Amino acid sequence: MYGVFSGPVGGFAPREHLCVGCLRCTTQYPEFVRILPNPARSSLGDSYFTPDRVDTVCYEARSGKVPVKGAGYRGPFGGSGWDGLWTDMSEIVRPTRDGIHGREFISTVIDIGAKPWRVTIADEQPSRRPPQLLSIPIPVLFDAPPAALLTDTVVRTLATAAEATETLVVLPVESLGKSAPRGRHIVPLITGAHLAALQQLGFEPAMLELAGWDQQLFAQVQAQFPRSIVCLRMDLPSTDALLRAWASGVRVFHLLANYHGRGSDGRFAIDLFREAHKALVAERCRDEGTILGGGGIIAAEHVPKAIICGCDGVSLDTPLLVALQAQFAGEAVRRETSSFKLPSRFTVDWGVMRITNLMASWRDQLLEVMGAMGLREVRRMRGEMGRAMFQTDLEREAFSEIAGYVS
Amino acid sequence: MSAKPESIEQIIAQKHIECLHRGFHVWPALEYGKPPAMGDSRWTADLILSTWMQAETGQPPSNGLEYRTGQSGGGFDVLHLKFLPPEHWLADDAAIDLSIPLNRRDYDRQIRIPVPFYGAGMSYGSISENVMLARAMAARKWDTFTCTGEGGYPESLVSYKDHVITQIATGMFGVREETIQCAPIIEFKYAQGAKPGLGGHLLGDKATTTVAQMRESVPWVSLFSPFPFHSVYSVEDHKKHIDWVKTINPAALVSVKVSTPTDIDMVTVGSYYAGAHIVQIDGSYGGTGAAPEIAKKNIAMPTELAIPRVHRYLVAEGIRDELVVMASGGLRTAHDIAKVIALGADGAILGTAELVALGCTRCSNCERGRGCPFGLTTTDPELQRLVEPEWGAARLSNLYQSFQSELRTILRQLGLQNIRDLRGRKDLLLYRGDVKAS
Ligand code: SF4
Ligand code: SF4
Repeated sequence: MYGVFSGPVGGFAPREHLCVGCLRCTTQYPEFVRILPNPARSSLGDSYFTPDRVDTVCYEARSGKVPVKGAGYRGPFGGSGWDGLWTDMSEIVRPTRDGIHGREFISTVIDIGAKPWRVTIADEQPSRRPPQLLSIPIPVLFDAPPAALLTDTVVRTLATAAEATETLVVLPVESLGKSAPRGRHIVPLITGAHLAALQQLGFEPAMLELAGWDQQLFAQVQAQFPRSIVCLRMDLPSTDALLRAWASGVRVFHLLANYHGRGSDGRFAIDLFREAHKALVAERCRDEGTILGGGGIIAAEHVPKAIICGCDGVSLDTPLLVALQAQFAGEAVRRETSSFKLPSRFTVDWGVMRITNLMASWRDQLLEVMGAMGLREVRRMRGEMGRAMFQTDLEREAFSEIAGYVS
Repeated sequence: MSAKPESIEQIIAQKHIECLHRGFHVWPALEYGKPPAMGDSRWTADLILSTWMQAETGQPPSNGLEYRTGQSGGGFDVLHLKFLPPEHWLADDAAIDLSIPLNRRDYDRQIRIPVPFYGAGMSYGSISENVMLARAMAARKWDTFTCTGEGGYPESLVSYKDHVITQIATGMFGVREETIQCAPIIEFKYAQGAKPGLGGHLLGDKATTTVAQMRESVPWVSLFSPFPFHSVYSVEDHKKHIDWVKTINPAALVSVKVSTPTDIDMVTVGSYYAGAHIVQIDGSYGGTGAAPEIAKKNIAMPTELAIPRVHRYLVAEGIRDELVVMASGGLRTAHDIAKVIALGADGAILGTAELVALGCTRCSNCERGRGCPFGLTTTDPELQRLVEPEWGAARLSNLYQSFQSELRTILRQLGLQNIRDLRGRKDLLLYRGDVKAS
């Protein structure tokens, strides 16, 4: 039916790549046909970016489509991390299906920057630099790949894909040499050691990112790029440092877990994003700034889940590499220590197409989730924890009276 | 035995059918081990093979296949029934009542089914007419029900009308006055567990001329049911729907199929006050002919977690004994049925388990090209032939028989004579969180 046995010599040389694993042949002819899981597949990815996830990202990057399949869900019940969270749906509220198919508008635009409630005037001058704000049409940014992968082709691919999808790409400033691409969509990642490279940047980015907190560098960058947003990159957990940086004037944060979604204390990004979000809510300033979350976001559903947990937008790391058919060399846990093998030769056009497809697919899947929730704007999804269902909470409620249940 | 084949196509089809039937027989016997690529954590190879065996023998397997639970690491798979010590079991010949009423109000028609389950909505187009017929035949034999799903009411089902629930869903596909008039139960599908909040989805390849004709649509064009009902803006509007069908068929019972949002408790109560007799809570791990993968896992909660919430809320409202709560969405075995009743449901609705009994391997290719290679979720005329209605009905009937006998055994070992006494008895469950997903 799928052409596996339709080659010139039929079953003697099955065309294995066409097999969809329906098991009809082996059901009919148990004595002749065995369908075995492909051992090469099980070596894809790593313990976090599982072969199933790799398959899905590759399909999305190839087709640009939403993966649609028959039969029900086939995986584990829930799980740690993102799998322990379900998003809400509404039985009666629009937009939903109409919005998913474009007949009603569902906005996936997010704003990045500072949104002060008011401008305070002192000595007839505004007390702060004017607020900088930019909007991107999808709540997804591209994060810098490991340093070893920053070849000219990779840099161009990421930069061109970011431009094509009207988002931003974080790239170390030292990788933005003379022949590197230019444009507002490129976010130079800077440390004090690379100030010279920053002087020679040759363009005005919409946003710059400090690799860590440095009061002096922050002031310098603000002075040099008065019309650009300055974002602070921080490893999770970061609540105390975040509040200190807030007090020093930072309004955009890029909070990062490792590639497996864990903070340095071992907790998962769900808790860490929620903690950071709630800290700003408690300070009554959440709406005045932006939280971008990254690390461990490797599937389309992780985007709305991270936003529900308090991020305004998310940054992608390993999925971009998987979209470019990178192979994992061992466990990829931290950017600094992970290694990948990209295809030996690929063109920028091919890479851009793959990443653009991935973004198209993920945006459409975001619409599915928002449609089901009855939300018209992704901005309204941020921190909507009441529209999420956490496995631990639901199980406590459902099973706590059952003998043997331990929360 | 089917009629003598006449054409070469029929001879070939017959050959395939014989081989398939042999496969359904020999694999569960473990003569060749277990198919290495079969199964997933929810439907393990053991569960698939044991369902095949039950569909053939009418009994649970006794050759070591694990036929009670899967390996999903949560929900039903970490819940176990707390059986009494053998000396307290009821006698083997004790009369065990598995029947449940489908109307708990003291007005309107009274319908009782002898087993606490019936068949889920599966539309004409998503499954073949032969499969629909097989389900209807089995429902009649067991005096229970099957459901049309959203896709119309093929003429061949009319003679089984007393056992066919007519579904009205958001696309209104195939909804006609006469099919509403002949239905003992009318089901409003507000949402489906596998694609909550997203409406139905029939891919173009399966919308053949006959399917399109039934649905009054254009052949070979994908059909997306809208979501939600465009006539409903609030729970109160739901009453309008019920009044509408009651005007056409005052004798019908009304069932409301909903998915499992955070406010599932309120939705259920709203449905009750609107006049529904049955509320079907369709958890997120249920089956589908086609759904975005993102929806299946991530949107809305599994039925195991929703049912206790609904039950508790209805009890608190003082209306628990006036509403029938049917659970669906990933119930695979008699043990799942018993567990969900212990969590608070009145009964269960089966979909995927029935397809597995008919040979489904859970391969997830239902939406692809010509549809199911086993002739189940397909509209392809050649493939449909693989399931002869009588053969299918016998398989389903055997599965029901096995579930019936297993449920009786479970009740005996729990010391209960009546399935209705199991409802909400969480004290008869045991949680085993150390069981990890495979
Ligand atoms: S499992 Fe067998 S019948 Fe199915 S696609 Fe693969 S080779 Fe073909
Ligand atoms: S295509 Fe596969 S999953 Fe779908 S009904 Fe057929 S055997 Fe089952």
